[in-house]
Amino acid sequence: MERENTTDVEGFRYSTLKSSYKRELKQSEKGSHSSQRSGRSWKMAETEDLLNEYEPLQPRADSGARKPLAAVCDPSRLAHRVVVLTFMCFLGFGSYFCYDNPAALQIQVQKDMKLTTSQFMQLYAWYSWPNVVLCFFGGFLLDRVFGIRLGTVIFSLFVCFGQVIFAAGALFNAFWLMEVGRFVFGIGGESLAVAQNTYAVSWFKGKELNLVFGLQLSMARLGSTVNMNIMGWVYGHMQSLQGSTGHTTLGATLMIAGVTCLFSLVCALVLGYLDKRAEKILNKEQGKTGEVIKLTDVKDFSFSLWLIFLICVAYYAAIFPFIGLGQVFFIEKFNFSPAEARAVNSIVYIISAPASPILGFLVDKTGKNVIWVLCAVVATLAAHMMLAFTFWNPWIAMSLLGVSYSLLACALWPMVAFLVPEHQLGTAYGFMQSIQNLGLALIAMAAGSILDNSGYLFLEVFFCASVCLALIAVVMLYFVNLLRGGDLNLSASARAKLQKSATSDSE
Amino acid sequence: MASAVNTTPLHLLFSLLVLQFASGFIVNDDKYKRQVSLELNPGLNASVRPPPGVGLLHVRALGANDTLHFLLCSLDAPTLMLVHTNSSSSSVKVDWRRFLSGNTSGSLRVEPQSSVQYSSALVFTRVWEYDDANDTADPQTLPPSSFLPPYQLQNFTWEDLGQTVNLTTDTARLCGQDGAASFRNGSFCLQISAFGSGGRDPGWPRLLHNANSSQLRVWLDGVTARSNFSRFFLELETVGRSDLLSRVDVLRSIDDEYTPSIFEVSQWVASPPNATSPVLGYTQWKPVAYRSATPNLEQATPCRHSEPLPLARLPPSGLVRAYFGDGYRASGLNVTFGIAGDPMYSASKYLSWTVLVGLGSPPVDSFSPVVIAIMAVGLGTPMILILVGGVCVCVRRKRVEPLAYEPIN
Repeated sequence: MERENTTDVEGFRYSTLKSSYKRELKQSEKGSHSSQRSGRSWKMAETEDLLNEYEPLQPRADSGARKPLAAVCDPSRLAHRVVVLTFMCFLGFGSYFCYDNPAALQIQVQKDMKLTTSQFMQLYAWYSWPNVVLCFFGGFLLDRVFGIRLGTVIFSLFVCFGQVIFAAGALFNAFWLMEVGRFVFGIGGESLAVAQNTYAVSWFKGKELNLVFGLQLSMARLGSTVNMNIMGWVYGHMQSLQGSTGHTTLGATLMIAGVTCLFSLVCALVLGYLDKRAEKILNKEQGKTGEVIKLTDVKDFSFSLWLIFLICVAYYAAIFPFIGLGQVFFIEKFNFSPAEARAVNSIVYIISAPASPILGFLVDKTGKNVIWVLCAVVATLAAHMMLAFTFWNPWIAMSLLGVSYSLLACALWPMVAFLVPEHQLGTAYGFMQSIQNLGLALIAMAAGSILDNSGYLFLEVFFCASVCLALIAVVMLYFVNLLRGGDLNLSASARAKLQKSATSDSE
Repeated sequence: MASAVNTTPLHLLFSLLVLQFASGFIVNDDKYKRQVSLELNPGLNASVRPPPGVGLLHVRALGANDTLHFLLCSLDAPTLMLVHTNSSSSSVKVDWRRFLSGNTSGSLRVEPQSSVQYSSALVFTRVWEYDDANDTADPQTLPPSSFLPPYQLQNFTWEDLGQTVNLTTDTARLCGQDGAASFRNGSFCLQISAFGSGGRDPGWPRLLHNANSSQLRVWLDGVTARSNFSRFFLELETVGRSDLLSRVDVLRSIDDEYTPSIFEVSQWVASPPNATSPVLGYTQWKPVAYRSATPNLEQATPCRHSEPLPLARLPPSGLVRAYFGDGYRASGLNVTFGIAGDPMYSASKYLSWTVLVGLGSPPVDSFSPVVIAIMAVGLGTPMILILVGGVCVCVRRKRVEPLAYEPIN
């Protein structure tokens, strides 16, 4: 029994289903944060099992006569893995940086392209549309069609071309072209996150994996934060360079942002080369996502799982579209300067970087996931109500939002693993991602038109209503779980006991 | 792709629903009602012919035991005057011959004079144009050379007010042109809306009004800018009793559902110097102007006002001269349209701004029933669920308990 065979990874005992929760946990941090962008790391759970077979990253026996390599060049040495890690982290930087370009430049985009807010929010909707479908196929494409190396390069190319088309749309003053660009960008962006995780597992499995996931997550946050705070400045420089503002200024600024995507593409190429090289030197295979998707599994999903899906859609709908529109909101309602508005808008990302591991650890040690989710949802509701009904300094509300958002990610995503047999995990997470993207696309468009017609108070009330829906789902989940005797809300010690008895039963 | 195409109708449906919700509920907080009647040139007989373009609109808003008179006149600078009487039979008396000859105080009276409780006037005196080449949108910091000669509204030729009076909607419009070439295709217009009860106009900024107020929308349409970077500002004066203080209060409001993205309301109030006594009359506006005749969020442009200054003499208005005498004083301020970075006037050749003029304290916005309903349902449902769920669980546990084994002794 490979699975029972507990492998010690960073002090975590992995065994069967129940313990994959921990992996999920780490994954989910990544996934969910990155906005919708993520959540698929869970697939690693299976990957790790797959990879167990290649576990020892040792030089092949027959290559013993090979002359020793410098530490930096030797794939089996830490120094080399650090080099690889650097490229891995920057692999996703471009897509995270460019994902929130519209939010960072909302005023400029709307002014230069003469857009209504609902048209502006289409840019986010178009990013989400391809992922409604791709969540099911991204892993398949990586595993079966392209392989991880080629796949990563292809997805990076999509990200690059998407951003270039997006910028070209601004240069030529063609909004439809910008939408096409976001669509192409969306095809690449989300799948690139999966590829990044797969690389991480393939290189660091059984070694510094959790740390690597943590670092990648921090890089993602860094990308978003830097974007939020620097794009306005870049635009300002382009403006003074060209001496006027207009769609060409915007186009040029977005082209410059595209350099980060190009940089990520270079990282993809280098990683592909290093991975190939490692394969030659070591007895190492291409990483696999190990994702198995069977759409017919959907009929087996329990009511509790559907409730989790509902929480996921309703909750994230009140986060990402809000951040997309946040900057102008802080300027208009709280009279913030654009720079300060961008800073407060990015605080959610900044907080989530350090808070995720800490809160993940907390949830991990205490269990009681439903209660944690409940706390996160209530805190988010409080934050949104503060923003809606008070003039209190938005730093308070946004910090609260940042913490609760990180907490929800740590507590919500792992729950799926308790409800679904392991062989259906791929389908369940794929489905969750897919409807999350569907929800985000629809809510982004709705949010834009609500703002255009009824203003910010109504928009905030709409987000509050969305969080309330999530709250209703959490409360129902709590009672359903209580009445059916589910183990979603067990404390960590009870869970360990249960797992112990399950293990002894199977023996 | 398919999903993207399929959801477009969904999106439409959704936004329609939202629109429906947002516009379907208009609160009428103020239940007080008045009977509104409009009359053009009250008391004018055939013996006197006013010069073309001069008209006097009298709006009589009759309450249970008081009357509000609103008078809009185009003789010299356009003026809206408000007179409040505590009699339900007060009337406006105009000595037309003297009124039209000008410079005669007392040619317009509200009788009986002892019933008059409060009177004030709002006068639009000048439209200023300035060259904002550095895009600061702050005329106070600009050198005098940036200012183009202002348009004196008292010199405007006004169109016939009588043709625009609409008795079903209780509105009338006053449009005028300057003789200059820049006004060949342009006009400066004021539209008055009188109200018999509380409510809101359908068009933005959707100011809340009540039976004690009437609304003026002012717009500048199609004027040819005299410089490449022209912006405009408007000079306003109010006339009120000289013992009253004139100040502008800027209130912040969390509620922008009627005027999206505007979280402030400015009110130019006249109040007794005693700080605790209530406001007697007001001119209220939201700091926003629109650059299109069909206002939307993209065409909104912020506006700012200067501090009101007491003025030495009364404004050049026929109504003010005819009604106000000693004991009244004027104060004036400027309302600037646009902020740095906003498009110049010539980009849209349109600017529209709305003020509410009324008696007593200005109306205060409150949440619409939709907002209250959504929050009540949103917060109430989880509470009820927790209660019901808690009771259910307790009941179940109780029912299960007797079934459990109990010690025999």
